[in-house]
Amino acid sequence: MEGLFDYAPAIALFPLAAFVIALAFGNYLPKKGAIPGIVATGGSLALSLAMLAAVAGGEEGYYHDTLYTWAAGDAASEVGPEGIEFTFGILIDPLAALMLVIVSLISFLVHVFSLGYMNDEGETGLPRYYAGLGLFTFSMLAFVYADNLLMAFMFFELVGLCSFLLIGFWFRTRSAPSAAKKAFLVTRFGDYFFLIGVIAIAATFGTLQFAGNDSFIAAAEAAIDGNEQLFGFGAETWVTITALLVLGGVVGKSAQFPLHTWLPDAMEGPTTVSALIHAATMVAAGVYLVARMFGYYALSPTALAIVAFVGGFTALFAATMGCVKDDVKQVLAYSTISQYGYMMLGLGVGGYVAGVFHLMNHAFFKALLFLGAGAVIILMHHEQNMWKMGGLKDKAPVTYWTFVAGALALAGIIPFSGFWSKDEILYDALIVGLEEPLILAAYAMGLVAVFFTGFYTFRMVFLTFHGKPRSEAAEDPHGVGWSIKLPLLTLGVLAVVAGIANLAPVYKLTGIELTFLESWLEGGLEGTTYVAYTELLGDVYDTGFIGTESTTVLIAAGLSLALAFSGAGVAWKLYNVPEPVRHTEKLGGAYDVLRSNYYQDEYQVWLAEGLTLPLARAADRFDQTVIDGTVDGVSTASLFGSDRVKRIQTGIVTNYAALLVTGFIVLLIVLGILGGWFV
Amino acid sequence: MSVAIEYYVLLSMALFCIGLFGILTRRNALMFLMSVEIMLNAANINLIAFAFYHGNLTGQVFALFTMALAAAEVAVGLGIILVLYRNFRDVDVTVPTTMRW
Repeated sequence: MEGLFDYAPAIALFPLAAFVIALAFGNYLPKKGAIPGIVATGGSLALSLAMLAAVAGGEEGYYHDTLYTWAAGDAASEVGPEGIEFTFGILIDPLAALMLVIVSLISFLVHVFSLGYMNDEGETGLPRYYAGLGLFTFSMLAFVYADNLLMAFMFFELVGLCSFLLIGFWFRTRSAPSAAKKAFLVTRFGDYFFLIGVIAIAATFGTLQFAGNDSFIAAAEAAIDGNEQLFGFGAETWVTITALLVLGGVVGKSAQFPLHTWLPDAMEGPTTVSALIHAATMVAAGVYLVARMFGYYALSPTALAIVAFVGGFTALFAATMGCVKDDVKQVLAYSTISQYGYMMLGLGVGGYVAGVFHLMNHAFFKALLFLGAGAVIILMHHEQNMWKMGGLKDKAPVTYWTFVAGALALAGIIPFSGFWSKDEILYDALIVGLEEPLILAAYAMGLVAVFFTGFYTFRMVFLTFHGKPRSEAAEDPHGVGWSIKLPLLTLGVLAVVAGIANLAPVYKLTGIELTFLESWLEGGLEGTTYVAYTELLGDVYDTGFIGTESTTVLIAAGLSLALAFSGAGVAWKLYNVPEPVRHTEKLGGAYDVLRSNYYQDEYQVWLAEGLTLPLARAADRFDQTVIDGTVDGVSTASLFGSDRVKRIQTGIVTNYAALLVTGFIVLLIVLGILGGWFV
Repeated sequence: MSVAIEYYVLLSMALFCIGLFGILTRRNALMFLMSVEIMLNAANINLIAFAFYHGNLTGQVFALFTMALAAAEVAVGLGIILVLYRNFRDVDVTVPTTMRW
């Protein structure tokens, strides 16, 4: 069983091979590269499952190995080791194994779905598409099992590049290239801080390892315990600063406020790509990174509180915008931002298990919803406006029922998977919030967002599937094949049952051990386990209860369920009618604000054009005048000088001879004076 | 009794100055060459005179070398003057100034 880990690199290398094959031979293959992609991701899935079993059954319960050291040298670190090594290594612990399975599963299903969504629709450029998917999967899988921060950063960037390539897949349209560019630039803005954070951590601790005794997390803990001074700051302040710098990358990739603006635009890509980006790769990468180095964040209460508050705020902020969108993919885009906000809230309040749990559930139901939306788009002959849909319920039962399963999970209705994880996050936030006012505010925002989530989710379901058909396409939908139904059914089942992984409320109320995920995450390397995190968090947060633990559980669950049901109920009342009409006018001015996404794009464009552009112009002017002027001045002066001096060269030999003689005589006189001949 | 060393030095200095004067005032390249020869021979006189004065033959040997070198130098110099004449139809050294800046 342990020897199995030797094959771990292949998990990521399979999709890389698929990328190369699709790129080189895609045009000559029967399905234009889809088959290598499906085989490769299927292989990755099988290997990931084997890793999961090996982690579960192995003696140590993890695998950590350095594969390749590409640079080593003396460390100028403030604390810790003398030397620093930059390596490629693999760390497969329970968290990574779980994520590997999620990523390879979603990627596999997306590949299968693409057969129906891309191949059957006669798209061109398919080898490019499948090559992109392969590279995307490769980057994400390698990111997931990276054992150090630098390797993680590299693949984090590669993930960003792949999203750029895939969002801009239809590069002949006007909007897709601009959306791709926006996604790239906005996430790059966050990654810039991430890079500084990586350098700061390397410079401080002399190591970039995530786990083990020589990890930067252990070094940071030792520095805080020893009350050391790092770069003129107290150790804890410095840890907070570096953790927040890394958080910059997370905020960009996971589309948290204020860097969320790229994500709704990213809907310009093929729907399958959206499913992959939102469920398993790219956006998940940010939250996964926080979970990966959770020990580091747990050292800094300030960083944790910021994570929680940003998450809670984003959850509410994005959910409100999702309520007024007409495009089915836009609604899903805002729901993604909102759900990742929940995960950040969960991690920020110390709910490590809850955050990871929601990451897993969200991967399943969001992939399901996006693929479902893809199926709807095929049914509707490539129409995405929900007001032109309606009545698809009876014509496409598989799509409808799986979509409803995903919607129920997203809205957090008991007993679907989303309920269990979202409830756990809110419960964790509540018990901390009872002691910390800032967290209570984050909790309140998360709670209100539950209402909006229920509302926009069911508004989407009712507008799409219920009522009477509102266009010709909706009356006569295009059929979908098995390659579309199979992924939908798989994910539909998972969206319904995945909640069983961690029935924390049941455990807290009845004492029956149903918290499998929690005990799963308790294993692994010392220092990266849930047990170690719980110990760390004991110093950070106090927790309180309303009455007893059981009543708190019931109150938290009851509140979020009631809000989810009322949100869904309002949607039912307004939109589950044969001829639904727009109710957005009743919102008045608020509608304009929501419709314009709180003017986030406008102010960011203003920042770019009104602030950055003049600044860049001024810098350019400074460069052109002062710096270039100095350089030009030096050359002008020497040119002018040499123009005068060269006149000495007359070309007449006599003059040279005269100069020679004069020089000799002058030299003689000077030497004479200095030598004292004339005294 | 032989001639005192001072007279040799005076003769040599006079010859050197005559040569230098020629270089600084004449424009004819042949005159140049002759002036250079005179200066060279002024140096030769010095070499031999001091060799004789010290009773050491090294200076005299050097003088022989110098003469051989002078012959070679004249050959090169005459070659240059020939080329000069071919290009400028003149042997005036102030004419060929085309190679300056």
